[in-house]
Amino acid sequence: MDIQVVYNTPHEIPLGVPIAVYFYLTGLSAGSFVISVIAVLGGRKEYKPLGRIGAIVAPVALIVAPAFLIVDLEQPMRFWHLFVFMNPQSPITYGSFLLTLYPINGIIYAWFLFRGEQALAKILGLLGIPLAICTHGYTGFILALGKGRALWSTALMPTLFIVSAMVSGMGLMIVLATLRWKYFSKGRPPEALAQDRQLILGLGKILGGCVLFDLFLIGNDILVLLTSKTEELAVAHLILTGRFAPLFVGVEIFLGGIIPALLVFLPVTSRRVRYCFLASCLTLVGILAMRIVVVIAGQSIPLH
Amino acid sequence: MKKDTRWAMVIDLRKCVGCHSCSVACKAENDVPPSVFRSWVKIIEKGKYPNVSKSFLPSLCNNCENPICVRNCPVGASYKREDGIVLVDPHRCIGCKYCMASCPYDVRHINPIRKIVQKCYFCHHRVDAGLLPACVETCIGRARVFGDMNDPNSDVAKLLATEPVIVLKPEMATEPRVFYIGADIDAMEPMEGHTEE
Repeated sequence: MDIQVVYNTPHEIPLGVPIAVYFYLTGLSAGSFVISVIAVLGGRKEYKPLGRIGAIVAPVALIVAPAFLIVDLEQPMRFWHLFVFMNPQSPITYGSFLLTLYPINGIIYAWFLFRGEQALAKILGLLGIPLAICTHGYTGFILALGKGRALWSTALMPTLFIVSAMVSGMGLMIVLATLRWKYFSKGRPPEALAQDRQLILGLGKILGGCVLFDLFLIGNDILVLLTSKTEELAVAHLILTGRFAPLFVGVEIFLGGIIPALLVFLPVTSRRVRYCFLASCLTLVGILAMRIVVVIAGQSIPLH
Repeated sequence: MKKDTRWAMVIDLRKCVGCHSCSVACKAENDVPPSVFRSWVKIIEKGKYPNVSKSFLPSLCNNCENPICVRNCPVGASYKREDGIVLVDPHRCIGCKYCMASCPYDVRHINPIRKIVQKCYFCHHRVDAGLLPACVETCIGRARVFGDMNDPNSDVAKLLATEPVIVLKPEMATEPRVFYIGADIDAMEPMEGHTEE
């Protein structure tokens, strides 16, 4: 049947790129914090630098991230309402406390780590892991509870966000560890450098595993969308073949998923640090694309 | 006002002529700035000549019984009154827009001047004064009927009891309090009339 919408007044989409960047930064922070703590708890000496890189990146990313949130408010000066007028049913209420506690914990953790007080650092690190996971998991809940939007309203969303956080956090750690290995290693003994190299390549393998798990979750999500209701179908077509296909299929899936996985697992490239570095840079771009696709494409289906 | 009042609106599309008076009345009554709407009439055309028709869908906030915007508002600025009207406290809203992102009906907007989220409140200031909402008062076809759906003698309750009614997106479990008689499924379905992007 020929149907034409003659007149309608759709509203501007409420959440834009700043929110996607905010999700990206909390993901980076949570991922690198978890890896830092694993490195510190693992206790092996060669992991130490990793622990320190993560301990710096995590709080820095999480101090910048809420700035995007506050700037995005229509009434930025009223941000304190979040701590005074709480609605226990809203995921943003939990988020405002997590976004306060988690960076404070992260800063104290980094402080003890750099002072060399390993025991205290380990305790704070262990406390911080659930905080980090909740801080990023809650952002998944924000979207999952937005029930009007077909792309968001899935129970998979918090898990997908946590896994993609691990991917981007790990990617950033590899990038920084490689830069340190390449440019800040004057005067270090060659065996230490060889150890660092092995460490970077080993991290690359874990990154590859996380990327594959991420792709698996996205695949599940898309398959269910494709057999679901009208709006779910529409949004699946929008990201697979429509306006968002270059960003979703091209950047997120192909550049940020399949190619990095191949680079770290194919025997031809898997023994070279430069390919591991390239794979990590690509995942960083891929996860940023994922955040933008989820936030913007999720709101691009008309609701009336 | 009785204790168990539940304000509701029935829009009888057999009487709607698509004149947009409701949209205009709403703008004037509620000081709604340019670029945003709290009440509007979606219009679709369908069919091929000579078998063609036009359908209207007057739209406004459903003032849901189970509003997701109230549930998700982090500061409790969105709230439901005892009589079912969903309001936004203008002094408490921080403009995070999460309610707008959650609403399945896209009926909320940012007021570009006051920088807070606003929506249709069933003209609660008029209702509290014993008047009808502006869009109901002005409707030339008398397509809009407003009243207490819990009062069996009200026109709204009578229409709900005797006519086949439907709400928008019942699957969202929001229990809208705006009911339609004779609404066209093609006008109610948001994806209809949109070419594949």
